[in-house]
Formats: sequence, C-alpha cells, structure tokens
Amino acid sequence: QSSATSQMSGLKLSGDQPIQIESDKLEVRQADSVAVFSGNVTVNQGQTLLKAGKMTVYYVKDPKADKSAAAGASAMTGAANIDHLVVENKVYIKSNDQIATGDTGTFDMKTQVLTLQGKEVVLSQGDNVLKGCKLTVQMKSGLGNVDGCGSSGRVIMSITPQKQGTAQQGASSK
Amino acid sequence: MLARSDKTSDAAPAPAPATQDGTRGEAFNRAQRHSRRVRVLKFAVPLLAAAIAIAFPVYSYLKAPISISVQADGTAFSNGKLVMANPKLNGFTKQKLPYSLTATRATQDVGQQAVIDLEGINAKLPVATDNIVSVDAEHGIYNRDANTMNLTSDVSVTTTDGLAAKFKSIFLDMGKGSMKTSNPVDVSRGGSRITADSMSVEDNGRLVVFENRVRVNIDPTALKAAGVNSGEQNASQ
Repeated sequence: QSSATSQMSGLKLSGDQPIQIESDKLEVRQADSVAVFSGNVTVNQGQTLLKAGKMTVYYVKDPKADKSAAAGASAMTGAANIDHLVVENKVYIKSNDQIATGDTGTFDMKTQVLTLQGKEVVLSQGDNVLKGCKLTVQMKSGLGNVDGCGSSGRVIMSITPQKQGTAQQGASSK
Repeated sequence: MLARSDKTSDAAPAPAPATQDGTRGEAFNRAQRHSRRVRVLKFAVPLLAAAIAIAFPVYSYLKAPISISVQADGTAFSNGKLVMANPKLNGFTKQKLPYSLTATRATQDVGQQAVIDLEGINAKLPVATDNIVSVDAEHGIYNRDANTMNLTSDVSVTTTDGLAAKFKSIFLDMGKGSMKTSNPVDVSRGGSRITADSMSVEDNGRLVVFENRVRVNIDPTALKAAGVNSGEQNASQ
C-alpha cells in the first residue's frame, strides 16, 4: 500500500487559538459532554478554514463537573477543553495554499493528529495534487501522509513543475 | 394459621372416650367461633387496606410543602384588576429548590387568579443546588398554576457561574426547568460567546439547542483570563 508524505504545516486546529464556528444548528448535550454543530458548518481558526456538513465536538469529561447546568454552560460556550472532534458529510479544509477534501475527518486534540478519510481524499497544494483514501497529519510537526485505497491501493500524485522555476515544495514519495 | 391452632387443641381431649358427646359439642363450638372470626376478617382486612391506600397520598401531600406565597407592599383595586406594588412571589421547582420572583408592579385580573402580569421583574431560578439563574426583564406574565413565566421584552439572564445571556423574549417553565425563545439570543461566558436566532434549554440546562444562524466565538486566552477553571491542562499541549 503506497503512501506519500509531504509538508502540510497549515492543516491544523489548536485548542489555544481563537476559533469561530458557524452552523445552522448547535445542540449541546451536557450529559455526554458533546456539542453537535449541524448544517453547513464553517470553522475559522487563524489560517485554517474548515467546512463540513456536521461537526461533533467531544469535550474532556470533567469528573468534578457535576451534572448541573454549570457544566452544560461551560460545554456550551466551549470553555471546557476539547478532547476530539469529528467532522462529516463532505469535509473541506483550506489553509494557505493547501486544500484537503474528504468524506469524514477527525481532529484529536490530545495526540494532535488530524485524519481525513473517504472514497477519494484529495490533497492539493497549488497545482500539485495528491489522491488517496486516507490523509493523516501530525498537526504539531505538520507532516502529512496520504495512504492509498485498500491493501493494494495506489496513491496518485501529479506534480506540476513551476514554470518560473520558483522553489518547488518538495513532495517526496516513498 | 388459624386452622393449625385448632388441630393441636383437638388432639389433647381425644383419648378420653367417656366424655364422647362433650368433645363433639366442644368441637362444634370451636368451629362456630372460627367461622365467625373468618366472617369478621373477610370484612375487616379489605377495609384496613383501603384505609392505608387513602392515608398514604394524603400524608405525602401534606409533607411536601407546595406553598406559593405572595406578599405585596400595597394593593389597590381598579376596574376589576388587583394592582400590587412590588410583590414578592416564592415557589418550589420540581427538585424542591426554592425560586423567588420580585417585581415593581403586578396586576391580576380578578377573573383569572393564576395569571399575574408583572413589570420590572427579577426572578431567581435555581437550576441546580449551586447554580442560580437570575433573570431581569421589563415585562412578563407569570402563571402560578402552570409554574411558568413568559418574559415578553428585553431579558437579561446571569448565572452564578459567570454565564450572561440577552434575549428579546423568553418563556421560562420553572417546574420543568426549561427555557425557550424563538428570538435572537446572545450568550457569553468568559471569553466565549454564542449568538443564534433561537434557543431552547431543557432539563435544567442538560440539553441546550441553538438554531438558525448559530455563531460561536471561543477565545481560549480570554477564557483563562476570565478564570474559567474548567480543566487546567490545555488541550493543545
């Protein structure tokens, strides 16, 4: 199963930067420490823009937070720390000149790993395109890895040499 | 149980043949007493059960004080309406937590005792033992029987844990601990803020739903500054 690695420093969400989320609906279920954004969800954080049909935010279950509305309120306004979030129904992530699209994605805030899965995950940077079935990005280092589909799946990569000879972002493939 | 005790007394006199007719007479009396006892019990036991069944709910109703007391400084009576100056209403939510309601003026139609029209309202609604939601509004309609309050103009809500919210109007159900509004809302706490065109809070805040043009702004640094102590470790480390 071939895979390609490339530098994707932009694709990340972090827990300590201001973040703006818009959606048609937001449901906060305090009992399960979950906030579900649904209906053209857009997330803006710094350079990163994320769009999806649905985003479920799982908050860190605070053992001492009792079942009262106070805990609900903190989950509601995002004060509680985010454990991980899952995005579904057509995911689009854009950061600087890198765009990644797929069907579903997860951002794990603890391990700082972003994954994007789907029938066809496309990662493009400028004119270079990388296609596969799974994109995994170590958000801290920005190192991204695209895996092909199925056991014998292949990664399709097309690199368009820059005409003006500007420094080309190296995309080495194993 | 009654039958068994008869059998033992029978065995004792049996061996004395001489008082043959005496034992037969005795046995007959005992049987008669037994059937009389059964007749009485057949009637007494169900009666006892019924009495207990009635007594218990009455007892428990009296035990749970559903007192809704109303005090007011001055009351006046004009064209079929009772007008009270700065009334104070107290009542209990489902969880037996006390809530209180004060207003600058209350008018009550004599025909509808339960419905009270209030102005200059401040309500203290306990959402949990340690969290009181205090609600201020210009105008509202309080329904004592339904234990609800419909606030119809600019409402501001603050909670003891630092949540502040602004509504155009909101319907509060103190009994169920729920709030609903179909007008714009603006909820903020520490450094994060949610605005939407409608909101409903169910089950004392355990389920909150915002709908239509929902926008959430979270500024973690401001949250820290606001001393929001929800989990020390920072998620991104």
